[in-house]
Amino acid sequence: MIRFLLTRLLFALFLVVAVSSASLLLTRLAPGDVSTQLGPFAAAADVARERARFDLDRSIPAQWAIWAGRALRFDFGQSYLYNRPVGGLIAQAAANTALLAVVALTLATLAGIPLGIFTGSRRGGLLTGIVRGGSLVCLSLPPLLTSLLLVFVAARTGWLPAGGMTSVGSVDMSWGAWAADVAWHLPLPALALALPIAASFERLQAQAMAETIQEPFVLSAIARGVPPNAIIVGHAWRASLRSICAVYGLAIGALLSGSFVVEYIAAWPGLGRLMYEALRARDIYLVAGCAAMGGVFLAFGSLAADLLLVAADPRVREGQLQ
Amino acid sequence: MNLKATRLIGAATTASMLVAGYVYYQANPPAPTDPVAGQRGGQVVGSTRSEIRSYNRLVARDQNTEVVSQLTQGRLLRINRATFEIEPWLAERWESSADGRTHTMHLRQGVFWSDGVAFSADDVLFSLRAVYDPKSESAWRSTMTVGGQPIRATAPDARTVVLTYPGPSGPGLRLLDNLTILPKHKLEAALNAGTFRNAWDSAAPPTDIVGTGPFVVKEYQPGQRIVFDRNPRYWRKAPNGDALPYLDRLVLEIVPDQNAELLRLQSGGIDLTQSELRPDDYVAARRAEADGKLTVLELGVGTDADAFWFCLKPEAKRNDPRFAFVRRPEFRQALSHAVDRERFAEEVFLSAAVPIWGPVTPGNRPWFWADVPRYAFNEQRAKEILKGIGLEDRNGNGVVEDAKGTEARFTIVTQRGIGWYERGTAFLRESAAKVGIAFEVAPVENGALIERLLSCNYDAMYFRPLATDLDPAGNLDMWLSSGSGHFWDLNARAPSTDWERRVDTLMLEQAATTDPDRRRSLFNDIQRNFAENLPVLYFAAPRMYYAHTTRVLGITPSVLRPPALWNADMISVTPP
Repeated sequence: MIRFLLTRLLFALFLVVAVSSASLLLTRLAPGDVSTQLGPFAAAADVARERARFDLDRSIPAQWAIWAGRALRFDFGQSYLYNRPVGGLIAQAAANTALLAVVALTLATLAGIPLGIFTGSRRGGLLTGIVRGGSLVCLSLPPLLTSLLLVFVAARTGWLPAGGMTSVGSVDMSWGAWAADVAWHLPLPALALALPIAASFERLQAQAMAETIQEPFVLSAIARGVPPNAIIVGHAWRASLRSICAVYGLAIGALLSGSFVVEYIAAWPGLGRLMYEALRARDIYLVAGCAAMGGVFLAFGSLAADLLLVAADPRVREGQLQ
Repeated sequence: MNLKATRLIGAATTASMLVAGYVYYQANPPAPTDPVAGQRGGQVVGSTRSEIRSYNRLVARDQNTEVVSQLTQGRLLRINRATFEIEPWLAERWESSADGRTHTMHLRQGVFWSDGVAFSADDVLFSLRAVYDPKSESAWRSTMTVGGQPIRATAPDARTVVLTYPGPSGPGLRLLDNLTILPKHKLEAALNAGTFRNAWDSAAPPTDIVGTGPFVVKEYQPGQRIVFDRNPRYWRKAPNGDALPYLDRLVLEIVPDQNAELLRLQSGGIDLTQSELRPDDYVAARRAEADGKLTVLELGVGTDADAFWFCLKPEAKRNDPRFAFVRRPEFRQALSHAVDRERFAEEVFLSAAVPIWGPVTPGNRPWFWADVPRYAFNEQRAKEILKGIGLEDRNGNGVVEDAKGTEARFTIVTQRGIGWYERGTAFLRESAAKVGIAFEVAPVENGALIERLLSCNYDAMYFRPLATDLDPAGNLDMWLSSGSGHFWDLNARAPSTDWERRVDTLMLEQAATTDPDRRRSLFNDIQRNFAENLPVLYFAAPRMYYAHTTRVLGITPSVLRPPALWNADMISVTPP
């Protein structure tokens, strides 16, 4: 197990370096650079000064070497957009995204897996059809539309805040009131993120469940007279978890990396929105920093998926130990 | 009666009561509260679409920094954004010498910085020094020069500043609207140490930011909001003697997406924005106005308009065979004749625009010239002009070509994702095709567009360059051939054409003339030259509309950006 974890750690390190270096390179190669933020008619001296400030007057390998050297000392450079160090910005945004992701994943899991068990263990019926139809709709809607729709509903009805992470009055709130305020702002972006994931969990779980209940050990349990609910929950469900575990890690990674569409529309100050704004402004060190943090989250998600799989399936656990 | 039936009846009763309540509310809405202008207290929540980069306007020249500066800082005098007239501000009066080169400014008594330190002439001298000190890398250095030379300043006493201009200046005192007065006691050390540029960056603690404006920075939460509280030491009083500002707090929520921003405005989540309504949002805003949620104001015609131009840089286009006819004014005149500007305004701006024939729109009231040469919509005339310069459709494919077979076929580069740019370029493509000029449209990201613009890596471009000043003398970067805003031939070493040489001469004379009539006459001559040679084609200037919630009072929006918060001290809200 230690060897397995060490391998995973090395892979994570490689992923972070590769992803952040590639994003630095691509941002550098993309048309325009951070100096275009000064506007089309900025004075040449101002443009040259901004380019020098972000090492854009150096060759790509030289810039990478400077950036990597600083990153080894946990100095990820300066952001143009925010005019402050990248490290602090990313830490704050990652924490906000992690909070949103955990809530969204919890919602998706609590809704998607039970519904999948329900639809997968039944052959037909009105309720099964409604759940399946709902899942297809949620899977088909692009996140942009879901987010805008939810913001629209929130704005029209006033049931939920139409965006942001805290209320205007949060500046003067106590810690407890602030936490409650954040919780009040979470449902809208969390739902926008959770709905398609819950739908995919439901579809996968339903398919896996439908296959598992045809397995000999389930038929044997039925023949032994074990009650249907006990068969589903106690036997079939656990065996059907393997396919869910495989995508769970990817979902964790994707959610933690931040959904820029949802965060942008819902004005949630997370990693996805930060990355999107950085890309638009060609804020090169902020892009690289966000990509590095995304890589960390992706590696974590992948590790979590492997561990879940090991926990859920004894065959995998034995294979790992061997 | 069983449990299921009881539940059903209960649910139906509740639903009926809710529906009845809603119907009653719609029929009998609560009576609106009488607006009380100038009520003290309350807060307004505005929005902004990007982060703040600095609290120091002298080193950053972007809209957010401008807003923050208007809220927290003062100037010696200001240009009223509604009337375009000069108003006394931190200087309560002044005298100017007969030659207009020396101005004695008398500072207002009893003005204090928000930390309690008295404002004095030393702060004015310091601010000018900060603008001109090369170490500060001020964004306003070139703007604040006259003929390339700095304005000299002396302070005979703590309440008087004498400003001496190095030469005659057309804008005169209006230049001082660009000079934010900063506190010497807070920033002198940074200026001396060469760290002035970063001294008040967005990471600075709000308590360090002191000013003479109506508000002080309370807190900045990156990605979320910036909060301003009332400055209790603000010097200005309302006409009835009440202390200003009226509001206790002003919050700017950071809402990056404009669609979400509009939804929040309609729902009352925010009270005002930092931009005018897009043409596409006008109908939705009017509906919200009819529902009593928003007030929609027409500001008049905007001062900036979309422009269409070809790259006319000879060094870049010398080897392009199309340049032989693109460089001829007749070619551009023919294109101008091909566009029906009335229809352009209707279709591109959904009727919220007026036709124009030059860069100065009717919104720029002091400098607009109604008699600028025009090119009436006439496709036949366009074809004749093209034929006159040797462009005919010789092979019958619908596109005109010259005698060597070079077709008038171009790609228009424009910014991606802006509705009226997409409609405008589509309209142009359709109009030009009727006279034999073929356009393809390539929408690109803003960064890519600017890179292409700077390197002249494009055939034609459709974009809205923003004027840096309404006064043409403050806009020399666009008018002079050597200017960084002379966008059809950027930073030319020498004028490429005779008419540009003439415009250079006229502009420099205009900028150094103090007689208003003479300045106007010179500028009309410049506009005539521009319209006859058409380096840039203008088709329509948008009418601007601004929306805010009905609870906000005292807004006097301007066609200049930022439109609403330039008079934030007079804004108030209706009592709850």
